Amino acid sequence: MPRYASQTVLDVVTHIQRALDPTLAYRYACRVGMCGSCAMTVNGVARWTCRTHVDKVAKDGALEIGPLKNLPVIRDLVADMSEFFDKWAQARGRFEGSATRSDDFAKVAPQSEQREQVDAAIECIGCGVCYASCDVVTWNPDYLGPAALNRAWTLVNDVRDTANLERLRAVAGDAGCHACHTHVSCSERCPKQIAPTAGIAGLKRAVAKAAMRGDL
Amino acid sequence: MSFRSDTLLWMLQRASAAVLALCVLVHLVTIIYAVQGGLSAAEILGRTRGNYGWAAFYSVFVLACAVHVPIGLRAVFAEWLAWRGRSRAVALVAFAALIAATGMRAVIGVFAG
Repeated sequence: MPRYASQTVLDVVTHIQRALDPTLAYRYACRVGMCGSCAMTVNGVARWTCRTHVDKVAKDGALEIGPLKNLPVIRDLVADMSEFFDKWAQARGRFEGSATRSDDFAKVAPQSEQREQVDAAIECIGCGVCYASCDVVTWNPDYLGPAALNRAWTLVNDVRDTANLERLRAVAGDAGCHACHTHVSCSERCPKQIAPTAGIAGLKRAVAKAAMRGDL
Repeated sequence: MSFRSDTLLWMLQRASAAVLALCVLVHLVTIIYAVQGGLSAAEILGRTRGNYGWAAFYSVFVLACAVHVPIGLRAVFAEWLAWRGRSRAVALVAFAALIAATGMRAVIGVFAG
């Protein structure tokens, strides 16, 4: 493998496909850390390959590259993301508002506590690194996983959303936020420095409050 | 709905953990304080025999364990043994009863012994 300065793991994979084995299947799009499609397992750790320099991860010059864990493999380095995104839908990760086009814009103070919670979690681009890093997903395949729960947490804190009770019901229980063991692997590995663990803890509190009010 | 019972169990585990944190602290401080003059059965029984305060404290400790431990085991069984459903619930209730019974037997033993 030719080496050069600032070479990324995605460069290595691309070189393999173009020069060594044209049958190699892998997935990428933007190459600059915006799209989240090039996540793979690099020396045992889920990473964006486009933003991972070979120098930083190749111990003794060796790289072992595989598809993301915790997901079915379509071929070679391509993981099937269907269940990952299906779980976003199961966690009711879709905004549901009540305003119409004739209503004025909602005014949300940037410094409000809820908006700050949203800011901390909203930058997720759905790369699946957290999901592949989560031990609980490995042990309990029904578990919604960090990304879907993080998405639910942003909506729970969205003052415009009208489906929060249904959302809390969707994320409660052994396949939801209560399964999290706070291993913090998701927060440790997230390339966007999001902390899904904190959001999941927030969901646990929100669910408990709803249960104590008798709303759940 | 299972999410309601799952949530209730989670809350019970959190609440029992809070009780246990306090109980363990009191228990450890008592041990460290009490063994300074040497550890003997007579000294322990002298402190606990007929003492309703210690009996109440250790009863709470035991019952908190009986609530907390089986809920934790429930997750361990699911994740490590893929054991769920009714048989798991029956086994865990039996285990809770075992912890409560053996623990309370010990509490009664040092209170009345």
